[in-house]
Amino acid sequence: MIQFKDVGLVYPNGTEGLKNINVTINDGEFVVIVGLSGAGKSTFIRSINRLVTPTKGSLLVDDEDILSYRSRELRKLRTKVGMIFQNYNLVKRTNVLKNVLAGRLGHTGTLRSILNFYKKEDIGLAYESLQRVNIAEKIYNRADELSGGQQQRVSIARVLTQKPGYILADEPVASLDPPTSHQVMSYLKKINKEDNITTIVNLHFIDMAMEYADRIIGMRAGEVVFDGPVSEVTEKTFEEIYGRSIREDDLRGGADES
Amino acid sequence: MTNQSKDVIKSKTPSLFPAKTKAQVTLIFFVVLGFYLFSMFWTQRDMVGGFSNSLSNMFTVIGKFFPPNLSVIPAVWGPMAQTIQMAIVATTFATIFTVPLAIMSAQNITTFKPLYYATRTLMNILRTIPDLVLAVIFVGLFGIGILPGILALFIFSLGILAKLISETIESVDMNPLEAMRASGGNVFQVIFFGLVPQVLPQFTSFVLYVFEINIRASVVLGLVGAGGIGLILDQQLGFYNYPNAMAIIILIFVVVIVIEYISNKLREALI
Repeated sequence: MIQFKDVGLVYPNGTEGLKNINVTINDGEFVVIVGLSGAGKSTFIRSINRLVTPTKGSLLVDDEDILSYRSRELRKLRTKVGMIFQNYNLVKRTNVLKNVLAGRLGHTGTLRSILNFYKKEDIGLAYESLQRVNIAEKIYNRADELSGGQQQRVSIARVLTQKPGYILADEPVASLDPPTSHQVMSYLKKINKEDNITTIVNLHFIDMAMEYADRIIGMRAGEVVFDGPVSEVTEKTFEEIYGRSIREDDLRGGADES
Repeated sequence: MTNQSKDVIKSKTPSLFPAKTKAQVTLIFFVVLGFYLFSMFWTQRDMVGGFSNSLSNMFTVIGKFFPPNLSVIPAVWGPMAQTIQMAIVATTFATIFTVPLAIMSAQNITTFKPLYYATRTLMNILRTIPDLVLAVIFVGLFGIGILPGILALFIFSLGILAKLISETIESVDMNPLEAMRASGGNVFQVIFFGLVPQVLPQFTSFVLYVFEINIRASVVLGLVGAGGIGLILDQQLGFYNYPNAMAIIILIFVVVIVIEYISNKLREALI
């Protein structure tokens, strides 16, 4: 369970990233955060694994306040909170299997990982994760030889290898075309259901949010302006979140192509 | 009517660069031009008479160098090997010591500012001292031989390598490093997994490049007493034994070319 209690974040340059956030995310939920760019979606998600540190309030993950965490505890937190990025963030010159094994870094001793002495189970786990996203035949390809969608699937495999309790996905489909976007979202949804991993996804496409989310949180200017199950959401809700009428580029489309 | 519209266009069309930039660039241009003219004038005044009899001198000197006495070559293989060894040892140690230094002087990895500035300053100091001066100092400290040469080359190449590699590190894609951190990796794991694969090809290429420089530099360092073939060359020149000196020069030339060829091939294979 993740609980935001009066969380606020002011960046060193004075920008307010988050204002007075109070949100509780229950185990196993698939939450989609929507909002325009600059609304604080990324800041919200990155607070949960402390890639950014809120300056106010308290943030509880599994009933422990993570804001006071320092190096060792922080690494432990990050082993149970996996993250997927917009630009996949793979090491391009390294092969797929090794990229996926990077998910085990937090569980592996420094010397062991530097010398490439991975445990057999870890390599097995990495291979299994790659099979789950249907890309196991590419294990020895370099990451930059893959297409965008394939790279994002590898990064999902990396997160799976981490065996996390939570998955954060920061705009995972923003660099992909519509059919690939749906594919990636389907994998995330499937993993959420099969492994009961709490998943929080940032999106700015309305139709995709509606299709995959259990619950939608709307953000504007660092504040939560909507929070409710997807059944309560209408086009009007989005207009309120965005503060303007809905346009064509707010939709990803291509749902039936996948 | 047409005149009027022309005026409108004239007043509305912006210039390609702001007036301030234009003025600055013009000023800089004339200052640089001034430097050129001044140094041309100055050196000419000093060089008067410099060229007049150098041509006939040149033929006498070249005449003395030929034919080279190639029979000395077997005797100088030892010092030649010493020169190469100096370069290899110095490059190896410089490569090892560069790693922490380059990481600590890369702004994107070392976020702790005082450490960054300290290593940057240290490296700048290292690089301002010419290798020849280092060699003279170390020969004074340790006496004539191979050790001062190695030390001088080591410090000299450490300065270059650390600078080149820290700049390579600063230009890497930071996203994978963020991902490693997000999956719970510690500093060493992040560096080994996210950074090393990205800089390894350039790193190897720079090391080979510095090795080439070191081969040539170690010859020069021999001239001031830092061991190797340079020392022998200096002795032969001192004895006015030009045919022997010429043979040594030819040997150095061939060895340098062979080594550069090999390291070029290696570098091509890497990138």
